[in-house]
Amino acid sequence: MLENLLELTPDIITAIGETFFMLGICLTTAVTLGGALGIAVYLTAPGNPLARYRRFNLTADAIINVVRSFPFIILLVALSPFTRYIVGTSIGPLAASVPLSCAAIPYFARLVEQTLRDVPRGVIEAAEAMGASPWQIVWRVLLVDGRSGLILSTTVLAVSFLSYSAIAGVVGGGGIGDLAIRYGYYRFQTDIMAAMVVLLVVLVQLIQTTGQYLARRADKR
Amino acid sequence: MPTSTAKTGAAIRLTGVTKHFAGSATAAVHPTDLAIEAGEIHGIIGFSGAGKSTLLRLVNLLERPDAGLVEVGDDELSALPPLALRAARRRIGMIFQQFNLLHNLSVAENVAFPLRIAGDSPASIKARVAECLDYVGLSAKAAAYPGQLSGGQKQRVAIARALAPNPGVLLADEPTSALDPRTTQSILDVLADINQRFGVTVLLVTHEMSVVRRLCHRVSVMDEGRIVEQIDLRTGFTAPRSELARWLFASGEASPAEATQPATVAAATSAPATAPANTSAAVPANAAARAIVVTPANAPFREVYHA
Repeated sequence: MLENLLELTPDIITAIGETFFMLGICLTTAVTLGGALGIAVYLTAPGNPLARYRRFNLTADAIINVVRSFPFIILLVALSPFTRYIVGTSIGPLAASVPLSCAAIPYFARLVEQTLRDVPRGVIEAAEAMGASPWQIVWRVLLVDGRSGLILSTTVLAVSFLSYSAIAGVVGGGGIGDLAIRYGYYRFQTDIMAAMVVLLVVLVQLIQTTGQYLARRADKR
Repeated sequence: MPTSTAKTGAAIRLTGVTKHFAGSATAAVHPTDLAIEAGEIHGIIGFSGAGKSTLLRLVNLLERPDAGLVEVGDDELSALPPLALRAARRRIGMIFQQFNLLHNLSVAENVAFPLRIAGDSPASIKARVAECLDYVGLSAKAAAYPGQLSGGQKQRVAIARALAPNPGVLLADEPTSALDPRTTQSILDVLADINQRFGVTVLLVTHEMSVVRRLCHRVSVMDEGRIVEQIDLRTGFTAPRSELARWLFASGEASPAEATQPATVAAATSAPATAPANTSAAVPANAAARAIVVTPANAPFREVYHA
């Protein structure tokens, strides 16, 4: 078993690098674009400060649901023309990052929207009563009192898309999960598969523990 | 119903305001007129669901009236575009039953909040926050978080936050309903002192008759979305006419006659125990023209509050 692993060490290191590359791009786009979308959907929901933009709310909500309905592997294939247009190729880790991001944006938007609902209404009303603009309510109220929930949402996002990135092997994205499938599953090297799964378990634990630690530190309640 | 209202020193004037929530069979507020004098402490009392909180929230347009005119000071709030409305709201303080402080901000940061959103300079914010915290007796808790405070302390922070931008008007939505009787008294003392010392007009919603008796100059009795009676507690006691007002005045511990001398009214001639000095500005005619200045010498609540 050790021999097999040692033999594959360069591949494993490459795979770890690919995983972090894909995860990095996908988390960055999800947190920025998905976060903004989630905040926008929250603000335009009935009873919230920008409820007058009802049409936007309904449209964005529907789009989030539609994209989230796609099984990821189908999204991966269906988006390949778009991927080629954006990054010039439809294979490799960079190409895999495009559908990953497209799936992660609505996923995180929904998480953010739900997390922000936990910020007490009264606090937002108090800010409105003090003359805060919707923009100030976002930056000075929602992102302040909702921050520990948002950190936990980001943790859930990271863990989910670490797992999604395994499917990126279909378009040659590589990564840890892909290595497990290629060597462990297709070539019956169970030891490699087991080692890669253990590596993923460790990574998930690490992400989860870090997320919870940061969330606890951010929460002053 | 008069459509053009002469501005005769009224700090708050509601003219024919109505509010009907979608999906509700009856209106929350039927066409209602209400004028609050500058420097007055005015109570709105009634049972749950009487529409009193809705009426209060119409004043700073947290609820938009379906019809009618909302004027605060010289502003016709109901006619203002969003930007001007936000500026006008900065001159209207508000406190709540559940305090509504930001949990992840320290006490000092909470008090600084309205000043930050108004874009004040960091130096002036720092000074003003210190002043306001000193006034409510919570300087020692500046770095604490709301989760570490008692209910009464949280309401004091909320009051300091409401006072920080120098409001001419303070709206209080059941400010003592989550507090025990003793803490209630200390909060009522602060509200009376704010009115007395700084001339802030206070409009307060409560379901407790004892709060009205101890604090208010006048009270509007509300039932099923209408003001059924207004009683002036300063001009000698006039017998309540409506059945509801009679019931309210009959319940509770004090006799109605005692309500004719709330501490704040008596203070016009003799200072109340909580305000040892500087009471010359009793109920000023023009509440908009003064600034709330707290100096160490006139911070009366500093010793009141510990732990």
